Amino acid sequence: MARLTVDDLCKTFPGSGGRPPNRVLDNVSFDMQGQVFVSLVGPSGCGKSTLLNIVSGVETYTSGQLDLTNDEGRPARLGYVFQDPRLLPWRTVVQNMLYVQDDNSSQTRDRALRYLDMVGLANNTDYFPTQLSGGMQQRVGIARAFSVEPDLLLMDEPFSHLDAITARGLRENLQEIWIESRKTVLFVTHDVMEAVQLSDRIIMLQPGGRIFDDITIDLPRPRHQSDPKVATMQAEVLGRLESMTGVNDDVSQAAPTGGAP
Amino acid sequence: MSTAVQRRETSAPTGEPAPPPWYATDLAARLSSYVFGLLLWIVLAMAFERVPGPDEVVVRLVQEFQLGQVFGHFGTTMFRFGLGLLVAAVGGIAIGVLMGLSPISRAFFESPVLVGLSIPAIIWAFLTVMWFGFGWKAPVTTVALSALPFVAVNVAKGVLGVSRDLRDMSRAYGVSRARRIRELVLPAVTGYIIAGVRFAVIIGWNAVLLSEWFGATDGVGFRSRYWYDANRFGGFAAWVVLFVVFIVILDRVILERASRRAFRWRDES
Repeated sequence: MARLTVDDLCKTFPGSGGRPPNRVLDNVSFDMQGQVFVSLVGPSGCGKSTLLNIVSGVETYTSGQLDLTNDEGRPARLGYVFQDPRLLPWRTVVQNMLYVQDDNSSQTRDRALRYLDMVGLANNTDYFPTQLSGGMQQRVGIARAFSVEPDLLLMDEPFSHLDAITARGLRENLQEIWIESRKTVLFVTHDVMEAVQLSDRIIMLQPGGRIFDDITIDLPRPRHQSDPKVATMQAEVLGRLESMTGVNDDVSQAAPTGGAP
Repeated sequence: MSTAVQRRETSAPTGEPAPPPWYATDLAARLSSYVFGLLLWIVLAMAFERVPGPDEVVVRLVQEFQLGQVFGHFGTTMFRFGLGLLVAAVGGIAIGVLMGLSPISRAFFESPVLVGLSIPAIIWAFLTVMWFGFGWKAPVTTVALSALPFVAVNVAKGVLGVSRDLRDMSRAYGVSRARRIRELVLPAVTGYIIAGVRFAVIIGWNAVLLSEWFGATDGVGFRSRYWYDANRFGGFAAWVVLFVVFIVILDRVILERASRRAFRWRDES
């Protein structure tokens, strides 16, 4: 379990070739902790993925503060699911799982195999990624992220490159695994339906990288798209998202901040 | 390169038109190129007195074998060539990986490698004979110094091309540097390493022959010069044929197979 505190975080990409600097995150503050599934929602270009990259340490930030520790107060172990599977093509499925582990003990191996089983790939451990479908590859990516027993699990639109049916299957699968493991998850998506189905809390980012809204989703799990309560909540969140894009139009007409790519 | 062609062949849908007739296949083209080469050689040998024909070369070759000259000289040269190549491959891969991973080492090694690329093997052959005298050190050093920059340049190019996505993934998971080099960088640059070693083989072979020609009392280069000095073109040409055959076998059989094995993960799809 992890505690993530983000305080007045800003990120500006320096302008090049005569273009003005591009601010993608603007005074973002939130904090999250414990067995919680948090989604970052917003239209593309609002800095969601950048924020995730900053949390993972792949990207730096311009100003503000970010504090990420696990329960013992040490730096948190991260799991990361990307938009694309990002597997080593020359390693088999199980070798890909072991690549990100800290040690080669038999316990580690068993844990990797257990998560492969949970995503339904128990019989494909010795396949090369090119021998699997896109959905299966993404399942490996999900199993890999869980298998490092992360304090914080980062997911960057993991289903956006999949077809609707495959994506739905994987979403159900993710929900099951989460109910079982209860990891701290920070999940990026532009899909409100998905966010409502999966999350305890939805943070909405608007173009220009400012937090627009912070919504708590208090529905029992497992949640299904067909459940009327889920559908009602989805409609409500979607309504807020639409009001946000409307607000943003007004803002950009009043004062162009040069934020949106 | 050839792996890609093979893959396309094997993955062709079964409904494709019938295979081409025997005279339009790759094999036929390759064989006819050998036949034309042989014919050209025969014609040239008949036209010019100073060009030995295939028959004479074969006779000389058999004589060299009967004299017991082939295996000793060949073995000596092979040892020098192999040792020099090993130094070039290990050193070249190490420098290439460093150049690809860190901009500072790139800045440091770029000029020396460029200088190395531009120095012909013959210069190293002269220099090393002056340094070490006759013996095994001069040819080995000549091979290593001539071939190393080619391996380094190729490997550096490969490392720079390693997928950024996979590097970011490795970083996000905190994969150790040693493991990243072993499991991410090296497999990704295998193709470049093989290409670099192929260059190194050709250049190193040149280097070892030159070096032995000037600075050795045994080896293939020395024996070729022996016949050259004796003004016996047949004997000289016999050795030329020997090492051409050797290089072709090395490249086709060993390196080609190594390359196919390294890209197993691609072929099995």
